[in-house]
Parts: sequence; structure tokens; C-alpha cells
Amino acid sequence: MTETEPAPSAAAASPASAPTGARYAGRRVRRLEDARLLTGRGMFVDDVRRPGMLHACFVRSPFARARINSIDVCAALASPGVRAVFTAADLNPDVRESWYTQDGPKVPDSPRPPLADGEARFAGDPVAMVVATDRYLAEDAAELVEVDYEPLDAVVDFREALASPVQVHASRPGNIAGRLTGTPPDAVEAACAGAAHVAEETFRQQMHTPSPMETRGIVAEWDGRELTIWSSTQNPHEVRAFTARLLGIPPERVRVIMRDTGGAFGLKVVPGREEQCVLLAARKVAGPLKWIEDRRENLLCHQARHESGRARIAFAADGTILAASIDHLQDMGAYPTPWQVGPGAAVGMLFPGPYRVPVATWTSTSVHSNTAGRVPYRGPWQFESLAREVLLDIAARDLGIDPVELRRRNLLSRDDLPWTNPNGMPYDHASPRETFEAALAALGYDAFRAEQRAARAHGRYLGVGTSSYLEPTTSGQPYYGSEEATVRVDPSGRVTVFFTGGSSGNSLETTVAQLAADALGIEFDLVEPVQGDTAVTPAGAGTGGSRSGSMTAGAVGEAARALLARLTALAAHRFGVGEDEIEVADGRAVVRGRPGVGATFGELAAYAAAAPPGLPEHLAGVLEASGRHTTPAPMLWANATHVCVVEVDVATGAVTILRHIVGEDVGPMINPDVVEGQIAGGTVQGIGGALLERQAYDADGNPLVTTLLDYLIPTAAEVPLIEYVHLETPAPGPGGYKGVGEGGAIGAPPAVVNAVVDALSPFGVKITELPVTPAAIVELLAAAGYQGGHH
Amino acid sequence: MKPAPFDYHRPDSLDEAAALLAELGDGAKVLAGGQSLIPMLALRLACFDHLVDISRIDALRGVERRDGTLWVGATTTESAIGADPAVAAAVPLLARATPLIGHAQIRNRGTFGGSVAHADPAAEYPAVVLALDAELAACSAAGGQRVIPAAQFFTGLWSTALEPEELLVGARFPVWSGRCGFAIEEFARRSGDFAIAGAAVAVELDDGEDRVRRCAIALLGMGPTPVRAAGAEAAVTGRPLAELEPADVGATAVAGLADVPSDLHGPQSYRRRVGAVMTARAFAAATAEAAARPASAGAGNEAATSG
Repeated sequence: MTETEPAPSAAAASPASAPTGARYAGRRVRRLEDARLLTGRGMFVDDVRRPGMLHACFVRSPFARARINSIDVCAALASPGVRAVFTAADLNPDVRESWYTQDGPKVPDSPRPPLADGEARFAGDPVAMVVATDRYLAEDAAELVEVDYEPLDAVVDFREALASPVQVHASRPGNIAGRLTGTPPDAVEAACAGAAHVAEETFRQQMHTPSPMETRGIVAEWDGRELTIWSSTQNPHEVRAFTARLLGIPPERVRVIMRDTGGAFGLKVVPGREEQCVLLAARKVAGPLKWIEDRRENLLCHQARHESGRARIAFAADGTILAASIDHLQDMGAYPTPWQVGPGAAVGMLFPGPYRVPVATWTSTSVHSNTAGRVPYRGPWQFESLAREVLLDIAARDLGIDPVELRRRNLLSRDDLPWTNPNGMPYDHASPRETFEAALAALGYDAFRAEQRAARAHGRYLGVGTSSYLEPTTSGQPYYGSEEATVRVDPSGRVTVFFTGGSSGNSLETTVAQLAADALGIEFDLVEPVQGDTAVTPAGAGTGGSRSGSMTAGAVGEAARALLARLTALAAHRFGVGEDEIEVADGRAVVRGRPGVGATFGELAAYAAAAPPGLPEHLAGVLEASGRHTTPAPMLWANATHVCVVEVDVATGAVTILRHIVGEDVGPMINPDVVEGQIAGGTVQGIGGALLERQAYDADGNPLVTTLLDYLIPTAAEVPLIEYVHLETPAPGPGGYKGVGEGGAIGAPPAVVNAVVDALSPFGVKITELPVTPAAIVELLAAAGYQGGHH
Repeated sequence: MKPAPFDYHRPDSLDEAAALLAELGDGAKVLAGGQSLIPMLALRLACFDHLVDISRIDALRGVERRDGTLWVGATTTESAIGADPAVAAAVPLLARATPLIGHAQIRNRGTFGGSVAHADPAAEYPAVVLALDAELAACSAAGGQRVIPAAQFFTGLWSTALEPEELLVGARFPVWSGRCGFAIEEFARRSGDFAIAGAAVAVELDDGEDRVRRCAIALLGMGPTPVRAAGAEAAVTGRPLAELEPADVGATAVAGLADVPSDLHGPQSYRRRVGAVMTARAFAAATAEAAARPASAGAGNEAATSG
């Protein structure tokens, strides 16, 4: 069945998005993944059932910090169905190496023991693992594990960690996980001293929890020689590499299989501590071992976005930005995973954003606390955009300049690039000013201001906020900057593309089928994309850092190029002509000028497989080719402007989002549906972060949010239809494509905050803390002297 | 998030259910739609040796008119109540509260009796039951049937006047006629969440001068149980509408509340403010509806709604 719209001629395809000759790239091709996902036939880790499978569950510390004096597992072991109970003494000594490929073995990472050993460091810290014949029995037994805890003082608030007498890890004095700095602050201080106005605020962002629909999960099956792993992951090959190092077995004896991953958002870039436990225990139990993180564990064990920062921007009297700096502090929790210090640097380096900022500097300090461990989360550095964009609006009001006009005076245009920002970020191939204008045009900015005035006359408070950012995608760092694919033609004529994958909702199968069909000049329906099984797919870095579109496009392109060369050589041999006389088009290789003389790809595959006498050895056999793409660019710059329109009920503090427009430039789009899906998902996450989502602890370090009743993820009822405006400035990479996975989550929060503040501008409130809850709004209004609201 | 072991019982009749509850005592819990009980079991916040599933007892299900009142059976689902024209005609407040309960999937499973017996202070049905002075029918093997007035039913956070061996059978709602208006307003962080605060209001105006003949206000989310705003009701009764400012009614309604909760969503003062605002809005809407009805004796609200 054809899942695509009819493929028209190249001329009819979306002109900007479609490379010359492309029939599928640039089009809204229907997703290959949808049929199985929408009919309940997806294969997630919890769908894996193996004969004799056992189930793990964790005993977790109820204390933020406690000495573990003893653990008595006798009663648990005697509980029905229990096969084993493991503590740190059983599993931790088996760890050979536990570093992640992206960071390497030498990075100054903090301790990450599989099970808490001697001390529990947050409420939720896994202390023991129970293995039973089903999860119910495992949970029954977990209640019988007797742990003698001696509660200790904890450092709960990361902002107090530096001065706290409590040390989360003995090896981290002052609870400092790391501290990174930009250039000396002298130039910024000088610019501020001479500035007409310096805007300065301290912003605070609440703790988030990455909450994919499918939580983490793993099944590990040891057959005495080989370990087979089913994993919910963004990066199957990292699971394999990590496991081989962890257990000290050859990677060739580790096979990782992923099929569908139900969301990840950064949480699943590397295996965490519980997954380590399952991997370590897999060789000790008599059966495949499954662990599925339940929702409470998901909310208990991970944090993201918990940051604060003092941001400064200096202006000339006309609003020209003279300098920008940020001092950033981020919460690592007890066990950040993976190394989380480095990403803090991005907050500092990107703080100048898409503006013509002449001088800048930054610091970023990462501190431990007795809370859940920090994990990567969609746009991990987004605090730079929050601080900058909200501060720009505050500055605009102080300067008496419309916030849109203030940005116009400072935004970089496409023609200004390349431009290296004062922190060394080499901006290029982007269109901040053009995107900003396009997004505002979609709103009708001036018309909105008129509507706003009219509404206020009726006691309704509408507001608009914008947010603009430049985002590095598709990192060129060694581990991330390279990707491979293999393309195979079978005698049936069908083409299988093997690629790394790690698709966690980002439609890589559809994308690969589009790209391969175009690269080989064949029908979309002939392509079979295969991802995620390390036994058959080439190694690569998976989904992360908004890299998979561009990098996979490069890899598929290189593999297809090699395959076409091989097809040409085969056809030349088959028809006894020179390779330069062969033309390949529409799934056939023909001899130029003799249209009747040619062979389909399938026939050439059969020819190669038959290996007739005289066929050179390198052309005989399976008709396949591999290609590797290594990106020459350090990063590819995407940019966007979010425009948000809200109404605020000043009686209750309720915020209703009326419109949310995202103008973005992610380069040419491979599939606009996929691009818009990525933007929508990220934007809704960002709206959630601005208004709803909050993980919190009480003063003793007890988590206050342990169910989705309290962790408020926005639903369809809380968000409007997201509107899109596409600009397509090609990047210097395959197809001109850039990354799009993270931007929505970066851009949305400050736009929402600015819109709320704008709505409340008659009262003169300032918002520097997230989330912007109704209660917080009422409190801000009261502080501004407004007490009314009984209507 | 897996419940501890329990024995499951599914009686086919009310007598059988009552006998089971009598036999099993407080080790048993009644299971109806399971929308609150099952998550609490899965989180091991609650633990029972026995669950008595009453969802297959036909006698407990359904809505009907009885002697000028509306009878709602305990296992009638929320979605059935929301879709029933008899409910909309006789007890509009019950019908209007229904879409505010959770989401459609929850209402398809959740039952009237489950909501009332669970007695969450922020739930809608308990507030409506309390506002309208419904009579709750309970039965037990030893005591047979007894009727509990709504005012005596809600005794504390998630606790009611039901004895462990007692089963909620249903509720009898008085049908208001005359120039009546009804409104329920609540404020929740997201659509379908338990409300931070809300108010269910019923009013009847006299025929002549638009005086408030009677008024019932129940607040939800404002204490350990739903509460009647008796002070506000008294303050408006007998007064002409023109003299009444909804904001004042709201302020009076929340004045003197002792146990307004405070949580992550906001401090006590915020909840109090929202309660006042919701009361004001519900009062304004209910009185507007009542005032719009023609002032003629016998032209009941019911006829107006169903016509």
C-alpha cells in the first residue's frame, strides 16, 4: 500500500525544501511508523516477553541522606517468587568501567555507583534490587527488605550547596561538581560602567522531570556467552558499548535491540544506574531480567532545568546592546548522568543569543545536592534564552522602548553572518532578524496592540511575548560528528537501509526512506529502513543534540553514492560496456542511447549474487554498500522566534494561551510534518515548563511530586494549535538540513513569560522565577498593589 | 506501582454484597469504578485484603424519578449521569458538574457512588450532594437500609458516615422548581484536574421582586470536606437581587473557613481568594439564570430546562 502522497515531478515539489531531483524530501510524506503505533502494534521494551523472564524492582531510600548501617534481605528472599535480592556488595564490585562514550574515560565525572553503598544520597536512591518471577511479587518482597538507615543532614537546595557543611560526595569539596568560566570580566565591566542602562536580574528556574510516555526500561538476557539487551534508548550502540565496558566482555558479544522508544527527551541518551544494576545482575540470575521504570520512579529519580543565574545586559541610550554576561548555577542532584558540567558552558557561551553583542563573558557552576540526579533534557542549555529574553523585555520597559523595537535594533540578519559571538560561537547560515519579522508578521503585531488596548478597556488582559534564539545543532565533536549507513539491494528489488537509529519519536524510519528513495531514484515504498539492532546496524551516536536528521542524511547519501557506483560497475560488466556508458535512473541501470538495454536494481542484485564467471570478485555477492558521513562543520545553526499571545485572568491568575507562533529556520525540511511535530512537541514542553511542570522537595528533601496528579504536564486542552512559519536557509551540510529536535523547548518558555508580563503591564509586574503559576501571578499582582479580582 | 495482594469478590446482588462486607469487616473495601481506589492501591498508599466489586449489581445502577425526587444509583457512571436528560431536567447542578470531573475516560468508569463515598474534598459530586441536601441511602446486612442526610455524611478528609460494613446504595435529590438557577464554577490548573477551589450554587427567586427565596452554596477544595457556605446563604436569603454584589457573596462564603488547605499549587490565602472568585461567578451565573425565568407560579425550572 502506498503510504505517501503521489510523488509529483520535482518541479511541483515544495521549491525551497526539495533538493534538485528530490521527489520525497521536502514533502509531507506520511510516517511509516504511524500504522503500527496508532494501531497498538508498536514494540516497546515492556512488550518484550521472554521465556522464564524475571522482574526487578528497587528498594529506594526514603531519606534524602542517610547512613546505611545494615540491610537484611532474609525475609524478602523467603517471599513467594523471589529469586534474588542484590545489594551494593553484590553488584558494585563487578563494575569494570562505567564511562560514557560521549565524555570519555578521563572526564572528571562524579561517582555513580549502581546501588547506594554505605550512604543514600537522595530520597529515591536505589539501595537494593529484588528479582522475582513477576513485578507484583518483586514489589511485595521489596517491602520486606529491612534497611537500617541513620538519617543525616541533607543539602536540599542547590543554591545553599556551596556554603553547606553537608557534602553530598566526599570527593567533591564544597559540593562543586565543576566550574567553568569565559573570558575575564574586565571588558564587560568597562562596558557596563560606561553604559546608559544596565539591566540586571537573577532568574530562577524550577526543577523539571523529563517524563516520556514510555519510561525507562530494559530486558537483559545472558546465554552464558552473549548478552542480548532490549532497551528503551535514544542510542542503542551506546548501550552496547557501555555494557561491554561495564561487564568487561567484548562488544561483539553484546547485542542491543530497540524497536520503538516512546519518547526520551535526553533522558535515554545513556544507561542510568538502574540499568547498570540489571546488566550486572543479568549474569547472576537464571533467566532474562526485565526492569520497567514506573511513573513514580520516573518522577523520583531524574531532574533537569534546575538552575539560577544572574544575567546582565548593558545598553546605549538608543537601545544598542553593549555587553552581556551571565553567572550561572545549576543543580546536579546527587548522581548526574552522564557528566553534566560541560553543558553548563553552553548556557554561558550562548547567552548573547542572536544579537549583535560586542563583549560578553560568563561563569557556570555545577553543584551537588541531595536530590534526584540531573539528566540531559531537550535543549539542556535553554536557561540562556530564558534569562536573556526575559531580561530584554525588562530592559525594554526600563528604557521606554517597545520590546520588539529593542530587538530589531540588535538582531543579527542573514547578511551579518558569519559572525562570531564574543564567547567564540561561530554563527553562520541562519536568519534571526528575518525569522523574527516573519513570525511577527504572522501575528500582525500592530493589530494585536490595538486589540490589546480594546480588550483592556473591557477589563481583559491580553499580552504578547517574543523569544528568539540561535541553536547549535549537529555537533561536529568526534563522537557525534560521524555517522554510517549501509544500503542493500535484494533480488526482489527492495532496498534495505541499515542505520544507527535511536528514533524516540523523531520519525527516523520515514526520514531514511525519503532520503534513500531520493538518493537512489527509487520509489519510497521500495525502501525498508532498519534501525536500532546493533547486530545489523552500523555504530553511531543515535538521537541527541538535534543531530539525527542531518547526520543520517549524510550517511544515507554516502552509502547511496557507493551503491550507485557499484550498480554502475555491475551493469557495465553485465552489458559489456564502459562504466561511463551506464545511466542509472528510476530503479534501472541502462546503457546510454540504448533504452532497451538495461537491468533493474533487483536484476543486478540477482546477477551479483549468481556471481557469473568473469565478474570481478569485489562486485560479486550481496549487492550492498556502506557510507560514512563526517560533518566538517563544528555545528549547524538553527534559529527561531516564538511569539506567544496570552490572556491573564487577574482574579485567579489563570493564564490562557491564545496563540503560539513559531517562526524557525531549520534549513530545508526533509518532511514538514516531522519538523512541525518536533517543534510542537518541544513547544508544548516549554509551555509546560513556563506554567505548569514542577518537581519540588520539602526542606528535609522529601519529594513532593510523585504522581502525574501533581507533576502537571500540559494536555491538549492547555495549548493552542501551534502555528508555524518556515524559513529555510541551507546549512553547509547534507541537503542543507539542520537540527530541529530541541528548539521548541528552548524558545517557548521566555515567550510565554514575556506575554504574561506584557498582559500585566498596567500593573508593572516583573517575573524572574518559573513556573509562572496562577498563585504566583496573584502574589505578583498583590505586591504591585492590585488586590481586586472579585468579579 | 503494583498493588499488594488482595482477594477479589464480585457479588451479584445487594444482599450478597452486604453479607460479604459484614463478614470481611474493615479488611474489605468496596470497588466500583476504581478511579481513585486502584491508583491508591497501586501506589500502596492503601492496602486491603479484600475488594468487593459492586459493579455487576444491577439494582445499584441507574437514574429514575421517585416521588418528586431524583434517585441516582451508586454505580451509575459519571458519563451516564452527564448524558441523561432526566438528570439535566431535574437536577441541573448534577448534570453541569459532570463534565468537570476528570476526563471522558475517567467518567466512563467512575461512578456516582464512588465519587461520593471516596469523599475527596475537591470533587464535584460531593459538593453537589451537599449543596442540594441530598439524602444518601446506605445498607448493611445487620442494619438494613438507612438514610444519611448529606449534611451528616462527609465527616473528614476522605471519610464519611458510612460504616465499614455499609454500602452506599444511591442518593435521592430534591428537585427544585420555581424560578431557579444553578451553576458550578471551579478553578483547576489543567482541564480535568482536581480543582484548587470551586463552588456549586443553587438559587430560587421569588416571583415578584427578584428576592432570593432560597440559596444553597457548597464550596469544594476549601477544607477537609466539601462545606456549605451557610453564612453567605443566610446573608442573601430574602434580599432583592439588585442589592447583592456577587463579589460580596464570594467574600462572605470564604470568611471564617477554618481549614483551607495549602499546597504546591498555592498558599491558603490563594485558595481562599479563588474560592471567593468561584463563588461570586457561580452566584452571578445562577442568579442570572433564575432571573431570566418568567415570574409565573408553577412554571417550574424543570419544564423550562427540558422544554
